[in-house]
Amino acid sequence: MDSKTPIENLYSIEPALSSSSRRSNFSSNSKSLGGNSIREVNFVDLGPKPVKYGSRGAESETYSMSQREINDEDARLVQINDPVKTNERFEFAGNSIRTGKYSILTFLPRNLFEQFHRVAYIYFLVIAVLNQLPQLAVFGRFASILPLAFVLLVTAVKDAYEDYRRHRADNIENNRPASVLVNHEFQQKKWKDIQTINLDGESNLKTRYAKQETLLKIPEKENVSGVIKCEKPNRNIYGFQANMEVDGKRVSLGPSNIILRGCELKNTTWAVGVAVYAGRETKAMLNNSGAPSKRSRLETHMNLEIIFLSLFLTALCTVVSVCAAVWLRRHRDELDYLPFYRRKDFSEDEEENYNYYGWGLEILFTFLMSVIVFQIMIPISLYISMELVRVGQAYFMIRDTQMYDEPSNSRFQCRALNINEDLGQIKYIFSDKTGTLTENKMEFQCASIWGVDYNGGKVSSQDQKDGYFVQVDGKVLRPKMVVKTHPELLQFARSGKETKEGSHVHDFFLALAACNTIVPIIVDTPDPTLKLIDYQGESPDEQALVYAAAAYGFMLIERTSGHIVIDIQGERQRFNVLGLHEFDSDRKRMSVILGLPNKSVKAFVKGADTTMFSVIDRSSNTSIIRATEAHLHSYSSIGLRTLVIGMRELSTSEFEEWHSAFEVASTALMGRASLLRKVASNVESNLCILGASAIEDKLQEGVPEAIESLRTAGIKVWVLTGDKQETAISIGYSSKLLTSKMTQIIVNNNSKESCRKSLEDAIIMSKKLTTMSGTTNDTWRTLGASLTPVALIIDGTSLVYILDSELEERLFELASNCSVVLCCRVAPLQKAGIVALVKKRTSDMTLAIGDGANDVSMIQMADVGVGISGQEGRQAVMASDFAMGQFRFLVTLLLVHGHWNYQRMGYMILYNFYRNAIFVLVLFWYVLFTCFTLTTAINEWSSVLYSVIYTSVPTIVVGILDKDLSRRTLLKYPQLYGAGHREECYNRRLFWITMIDTVWQSAVVFYIPLLAYWGSTIDGSSIGDLWTLAVVILVNLHLAMDVIRWNWITHAAIWGSIIATFICVIIIDAIPTLVGYWAFFHIARTGLFWLCLLAIIVTALIPRFVVKVLYQFYTPCDVQIAREAEKFQAEIQSAAVEVEMNPILDHPRP
Amino acid sequence: MSSNTPSSSAGGVGSADSAAPRRNSKRPKYSKFTQQELPACKPILTPRWVISAFMLVSIVFIPIGVVSLFASRDVVEIVDRYETACVPANFRNDKVSFIQNETTNKICTRSLTVPKRMKQPIYVYYQLDNFYQNHRRYVKSRSDSQLKDNSSWDDVSSCKPEDDANGMPIVPCGLIAWSLFNDTYNFSLNNQQLAVNKRGISWKSDRDSKFGSDVFPRNFQNGTLIGGKRLDPNVSLSEQEDLIVWMRTAALPTFRKLYGKIERDLQPNEVIQVTLENNYNTYSFNGKKRLVLSTTSWLGGKNDFLGIAYLTVGGLCFFLALSFTVVYLVKPRRLGDPSYLSWNRNPGGH
Repeated sequence: MDSKTPIENLYSIEPALSSSSRRSNFSSNSKSLGGNSIREVNFVDLGPKPVKYGSRGAESETYSMSQREINDEDARLVQINDPVKTNERFEFAGNSIRTGKYSILTFLPRNLFEQFHRVAYIYFLVIAVLNQLPQLAVFGRFASILPLAFVLLVTAVKDAYEDYRRHRADNIENNRPASVLVNHEFQQKKWKDIQTINLDGESNLKTRYAKQETLLKIPEKENVSGVIKCEKPNRNIYGFQANMEVDGKRVSLGPSNIILRGCELKNTTWAVGVAVYAGRETKAMLNNSGAPSKRSRLETHMNLEIIFLSLFLTALCTVVSVCAAVWLRRHRDELDYLPFYRRKDFSEDEEENYNYYGWGLEILFTFLMSVIVFQIMIPISLYISMELVRVGQAYFMIRDTQMYDEPSNSRFQCRALNINEDLGQIKYIFSDKTGTLTENKMEFQCASIWGVDYNGGKVSSQDQKDGYFVQVDGKVLRPKMVVKTHPELLQFARSGKETKEGSHVHDFFLALAACNTIVPIIVDTPDPTLKLIDYQGESPDEQALVYAAAAYGFMLIERTSGHIVIDIQGERQRFNVLGLHEFDSDRKRMSVILGLPNKSVKAFVKGADTTMFSVIDRSSNTSIIRATEAHLHSYSSIGLRTLVIGMRELSTSEFEEWHSAFEVASTALMGRASLLRKVASNVESNLCILGASAIEDKLQEGVPEAIESLRTAGIKVWVLTGDKQETAISIGYSSKLLTSKMTQIIVNNNSKESCRKSLEDAIIMSKKLTTMSGTTNDTWRTLGASLTPVALIIDGTSLVYILDSELEERLFELASNCSVVLCCRVAPLQKAGIVALVKKRTSDMTLAIGDGANDVSMIQMADVGVGISGQEGRQAVMASDFAMGQFRFLVTLLLVHGHWNYQRMGYMILYNFYRNAIFVLVLFWYVLFTCFTLTTAINEWSSVLYSVIYTSVPTIVVGILDKDLSRRTLLKYPQLYGAGHREECYNRRLFWITMIDTVWQSAVVFYIPLLAYWGSTIDGSSIGDLWTLAVVILVNLHLAMDVIRWNWITHAAIWGSIIATFICVIIIDAIPTLVGYWAFFHIARTGLFWLCLLAIIVTALIPRFVVKVLYQFYTPCDVQIAREAEKFQAEIQSAAVEVEMNPILDHPRP
Repeated sequence: MSSNTPSSSAGGVGSADSAAPRRNSKRPKYSKFTQQELPACKPILTPRWVISAFMLVSIVFIPIGVVSLFASRDVVEIVDRYETACVPANFRNDKVSFIQNETTNKICTRSLTVPKRMKQPIYVYYQLDNFYQNHRRYVKSRSDSQLKDNSSWDDVSSCKPEDDANGMPIVPCGLIAWSLFNDTYNFSLNNQQLAVNKRGISWKSDRDSKFGSDVFPRNFQNGTLIGGKRLDPNVSLSEQEDLIVWMRTAALPTFRKLYGKIERDLQPNEVIQVTLENNYNTYSFNGKKRLVLSTTSWLGGKNDFLGIAYLTVGGLCFFLALSFTVVYLVKPRRLGDPSYLSWNRNPGGH
């Protein structure tokens, strides 16, 4: 960090800021770095009270760090220019980073170790080990290990590839060149060799500056020495606390004085610093914990069904061992001499039992052996298939051109690979507003100055085409963005301070231009006489305000830590910045103390109306205050974001008092932050109101349509915003979330009791409204689409009383009656609390979407978290499961990909259950005819290859590629999304139907050859080949019957598998050492073989086919009808006209 | 950060940062594959398809069923169960001691009447019931390497408990070889010897590749317990066809094994005298023994099952085709009619 930087400004970008986690809840801290923009986030009205939504308390503790002083134990000491001394006590981490998990040497053991953490693999391993016991050796040694080896290999290859990519990323990172000051000389070194610097930041510009005390040091000339005492490495990217002793002086260092790993320097060619954290100890690396792992709902259900399957497996094994027990008991006298048993071994001198351990043990062994033989009843291969399918699905989601965002040049990102199918069952969407529904591109709209509303101005005058510009040395300097101006206001602004209005307008725009942390950057253009000023800063609101000020002739030209230069109507003026109180979430305002050229000192303050009116001097100018309040109300009701500007002139004594307090506070070593806040609140009082500004937060493209689609699809959209109620409602209208037909219920209370009362009233009211209209149809009402929809609007203050109390229940009851819920003024943790409220009480899937650090908690709380890779940094994306560029992509993601993924995965799971169970059952039937001794007619290689080669590829291909409906249809009828809500593709009923079908099919496969060959000369290997081929062909044709879209890949996979099976059987039967040598060639020459095969396949599939036909024809699901409509579109076209409008009728436009 | 100011009015003022994304756009390349729009066929079960499918099945299955049934009926089969009849009356209560007693006379004569004309070749089988040649202990008890290759004659580890006798390895070892069937049949017709060809009754592939021509029986049936037939130590295994047939273990507990072929036609009502030696012990496990003379058809032996199965399935499909036709006519549904969609069916919202 730090510091001896003879540099004015360091800016940083942080492309590599990493995920993590809850601490970003305290995103409000982030705002302290720079702007005072009113983000949605702040801990509205919560005051010093801890955030209610509990369970996170412990963690938040850590982040109040800035309040704490550094203890010696917690501190790290860095000796400037003295590496030996710095490292004498303990070795600090080098700068090389390693995110890869494995090295070449450790790969095998570590990867195996990690893989065996999965229960499924342990099951595999136990079975393989059991098989190695001589008494239980069912399969040959190699054949028994093969499935496990295969599974391990596939997973290992996948892990190795992922790790390789991480290593490659590390390598790029580690080999960046950098220059290092060694013995007063700059040397080029590779990044990883450096024991220095440490970067990080946010996606938008932030000011970083060196302390005044170090500015004059020139490290090449003089030997700088000193000690930096800083915190131990931690994950808090918004806080940093240290102090530096240099030249005997103690200088305190804060977050503005450190450059974190991953930052990019702007506006300066070089910086000199001291490394405090390096390599894995940097904040970026400490935060790099990756997305949290979630488990999809389908998989959770599936695991339950797997328990059924294991019970079934146990039952089969029990049947076998009980039968074996009875058989052994009944033949106990004959066993010694039975030609096919021969218990007695006469070859030794003493007659003894051969391989017989007594009745009890034999039964136990039979049981264990049947577990080994029937092991694939538990479809272990399913887990791998699912992983592969998800990778394939993710590939298609990423490649979808309709989810590519042009402006930000970002593709869809699939960060979590295990919840693809959850996207098809989302019932609740929790959306952030700013940056998610809106663009987070602010535009100055209008202002109220000194009680006068300058609104609705047309861009009229000629010179506005290019906006305001100034000329310097014959060069034209012009702001990069043009803002429409109000002609009358422009007139006042130009008139100077002479008139009364003019002076107010002057002060107002001076405040806008000065009271911010924006950095102007002069950009060259191809035209040598024209230069552009680009205002860069952390807060888009501030940018909008500064551009506005520039348009009215108050152009910010230069900003350093000590002064700013503003070009006021062509005249350059220099203002000394005597102090700056940064924005924080408690005060929700920022202030700057300026020394004016006329030696007077003024404090300019801007902030949210709630906190500003409490510090404005209400004794005078009451009419202006009232007028401004009215204007603010009207602005926010049309969806504008408002800020109130105030000013105060400081007398010399006041200034002195403030100055000394400020000096003390800013160099304090104990509780600096709170001291500074105190100083700030002292000076931010008795303000004289200047006016208010209104900024438009533009809706993103396609948001109203997207919301309408989602609601038609039966998804409830909740918007959680930090904005004011009026703003929130107006955005609600413009985004079609709220419609004029809706009844609004507003809950806005200040105590628990009043909350309870209004909730209860609201419940009664909402019930009345919904039952009145919804009497006709119950199911319709539960869909939340009642005739008089109810919208609930609730604010953060009320939520404080409701969340974590017994009122939650009531709120949920109310909310489930409402079709829209709008929460305004909510804090980040409350967002998570609201998500948790719904998640706890329903089994419905929740999705949270947001773009900022304030949304991280809710993104992680929801079943599916979606991050918008927008302007507000990367935290949301890092914490999310999926990330994309625009809100409207959500429609494609859910209605199209979610639907597909759900349908594919649901079918695949059922099919895999069936596929494995049918094979096991065929083995089981045969065991009943072998004295229950677990002989398999199907040879062991075919058993092993069955789930590896014979049947694996088609299910994966279908799981990735099959589509029940086209994208167009799915988007046209969003209601089709209901298939996922109703769990149409995977449910308990389907599971049992599939299992019954499986028993039937296996019986057909087994008994047709059995009866056809009963009492013939057929040998085990030949009939085994028949059974193998019959099962494989049947299983593949079963799949073929359910495939909806046949493209060439599907054809290749299904027919290819059958051909591959024939080839494998032929190869196996061509090995002379195996018992079944040449069996296939003998049996395939007979007509009986082929007739059996045909009979098996047709007979086995008939019931399924009949049921399918009847079901599709007489109780068709929506998907089925839409599919038919797709196919017979031409015939439908004429009829469609009348029906087309129906889906929309339910949701009238406002 | 370029996105902060994309609406820059300053015309062609191409600032460096806005040009960057255009250079290396991450826009996914469009292809039919990546957009999941590969040309595909979307079959739908329309009534016409369904009915045609059922009709097709019945049209194919019923003739096959008829043909199979005829084929099976054409096969002439003489089955003689003799395991009880060939035990003298005084031993009937203790058949096991009869069969285990080496001194008892095992010769037994049976006469078989030919019911219908039998065209050559007539296959002679013995059929055993309740004999589990597929028992796990039994199936495993063999050494394929020993059978194939003289040099691994002592590879008997898998043959327990019939691996060695008197301290020497047995060739061929194992329970399967040990329990080789040893009843013998001699046929005579009109007091003339009826030749039974015992050559070529085993698979050629077995003779060529599984049983070595240089492997000779060694120390076989020398143990305490004699399981079955003895083998001539001077005949190589590849020529011991009875053994080869026996060692291709049966899949099911009721099975036939080829004993030989009679290569002449038999006329109806001819009476064949069979002189058989009833040596094989199936009495200890209540196994049945049958002697079978049978002709074959293209479908194999006499078994009506497949014909009946085909006729049943074909008939069922015909019935299904008819009933679906009726059902579709009585209660049709226009395919793809959007008015059936659940949200259109439900007028609750209007």
